Amino acid sequence: MIVTLHLVALALYGLATALTLAPFMGFRPAPRALTIAIPCAGAAVHVVAVSQLTLVGLGPALSMLALCLVLLQLASERLLRGSAVSFFAGPLATGLVGLAILSGLAPGAETVGARNTWFVLHVALSVLGVALLALAFIAAALYLLQFRELKARRFGQIFQLFPPLERLDQLNRVALVAGFPALTLGVLLALGYGAQFSGGLHVAKAQIVWGIFTWVVLGWAVWVRVVRHWAGRRAALASIAGFCAVLLVYVALKLTQPGAARFL
Amino acid sequence: MTGHTEMGIKVLGVNHRTAPLDVRERFAHGAHEVPGALARVMAAGASGGVLLSTCNRTEFYLVADDEPALEAVWTLLGERLPTTGPPPVTGGAREYGYIARDRDAVRHLYRVSSGLDSMILGESQIQGQVREAWEASRAQAGPVLHRLFQTALHVGSRVRTETGLGMGTASAASAGVAVAGKIFGDLAGRSALILGAGDMAELAASCLSDEGVQITLVANRTQERARAIAERLGGKAVSLEEAWPQFATTDIALCSTAAPHAVVTWERVGTIIGGRRGKPLCILDLAVPRDVDPAIAQLENVFLYDVDDLQTVAAQATARRHDEIPAAERIVEEETDLFWAWYGGLGVVPTIKELRARMDDVRAAELERVLRQLEHLSPEDRAHVEQFSQALLNKFLHQPTITLKKAAEAGRGYGLLEALRRLFGMEPPE
Repeated sequence: MIVTLHLVALALYGLATALTLAPFMGFRPAPRALTIAIPCAGAAVHVVAVSQLTLVGLGPALSMLALCLVLLQLASERLLRGSAVSFFAGPLATGLVGLAILSGLAPGAETVGARNTWFVLHVALSVLGVALLALAFIAAALYLLQFRELKARRFGQIFQLFPPLERLDQLNRVALVAGFPALTLGVLLALGYGAQFSGGLHVAKAQIVWGIFTWVVLGWAVWVRVVRHWAGRRAALASIAGFCAVLLVYVALKLTQPGAARFL
Repeated sequence: MTGHTEMGIKVLGVNHRTAPLDVRERFAHGAHEVPGALARVMAAGASGGVLLSTCNRTEFYLVADDEPALEAVWTLLGERLPTTGPPPVTGGAREYGYIARDRDAVRHLYRVSSGLDSMILGESQIQGQVREAWEASRAQAGPVLHRLFQTALHVGSRVRTETGLGMGTASAASAGVAVAGKIFGDLAGRSALILGAGDMAELAASCLSDEGVQITLVANRTQERARAIAERLGGKAVSLEEAWPQFATTDIALCSTAAPHAVVTWERVGTIIGGRRGKPLCILDLAVPRDVDPAIAQLENVFLYDVDDLQTVAAQATARRHDEIPAAERIVEEETDLFWAWYGGLGVVPTIKELRARMDDVRAAELERVLRQLEHLSPEDRAHVEQFSQALLNKFLHQPTITLKKAAEAGRGYGLLEALRRLFGMEPPE
């Protein structure tokens, strides 16, 4: 049932992505109502699917991340009054759901930790934090593309379909400034959970070192935004650097410690 | 053309396709001139009139006989043509004009209000102009034109919401607004500096002002014209030298001076813009030759667009709008059918009732006369004769009634009604 629901969500996200990207392939843009209704339907199915998952493992984590991303995409498109975020968020969410299905979603024996409030909050805040950082990355990428087109005086599909620079800058700022503390709190809750209920931390030294490195890079991106009042192109590049650090470190750590039993 | 009779809906006038600008300027009527002009045409026999006068067209919409009301319009317009010098006119105003009647006239107005007949395809300003014309002529429009203009506004709205005919920006000035919108998003509350005080500068500044942009300064070589624009748009007139420091704070700089060389140079504003700390500056250079040194665009967060760039944006919008013409024409055709059905049905029921009443009066009078001569008939026979007269009348009127109703439903009733009223000596409709 869980896999079936994920497959339905995957199909709907895939369809929504195809509709969103249609103008770049020379087709007429789909009606706005359709580009909202289809991911909404996908998210609804996905919520039902996620509610049946255990919180432990790579597959469930990727599925929750995809859902969070789609919900943030829908919320941000209301703010931007356009569907540009879905140009990136759509394929990303579709890919994450696909990976989640391949990683395995079948409900396993539920761990004690999965029912613990600390653990639930850790998972929720970490997933929300990563999804917000992904959204900040998407807004920054859209900003840089639109910036390049406007500077080069090209008035093609990107100029037509992407939101104005200032709105993208605003979205990047909000997502980054909210995402960093959410992820930080999520990690701190994991530490607290480990100390309280698991008899200490069960993480490798490399995870701690690279985790701190990632946190510093992200912290720098937020610091230049909030304290140094960076905006526009420089801020977008800083935000992209922060998200890339998260992504690269995660992939590197996962490659050194493969397995789908844990997210990290 | 269907349902055409002498008294019907007519449109006659000139537009951007049939008359050059200097002629259109002469034919243009200010709002204060509309009642007088319509009064003259109505005195010549029109029962209703609306005058639509914009920079691209002057059109009289009338419910009128072919002549002489139409002749009155040509005379009225012809009086505005010069009697000497160019342009050489032999046929008077009629030479520049056109007439459309009945269904074609309805379709014409619907195409006008939806922007299909505009110089800039799909422009939305015409919708407001049609509304203003209707309101200015309200006292003289009459019920048919009231309905026609009301529905024309509805057609304009339908075309704009159901098709992409109004999509994008189709003039260089409005393209400038669109480009600025892609940088700043909501333009309300943004500040703009205007360099130059010509027509183009004024038009573009008005477009920005319509979007809620605050025109803070208007700088020009001669202060008088700058002051006039600044007053109208709520800004302050300054000299060009006083304008340079404003490049440190303004969001939009609109340049359209008549200078023969660049006036916004790196030397004048390069350092000033450098002090903006990354805050975006949109420069719209509408002047030919260009007012802004292209090197300024090398500064990060300076977005510089010249008239060619803006025309590219406008041309793209126009090309997209052309694809929407068939859909817009379908709506116009649908709505023309609806109006024509309503118009054709006007007065059918009262006319049929009146005709029956008249025929019944004749039948009753003739019956009474005959029965006076046939006094020997028994009451039953008299009743039979009366029934016979009634049946005969019903038979006679059945086919014309059916035909008239069917014609009305098909939008062709008006002509038959007119014929019926004339044939049977009934009063013309209100």
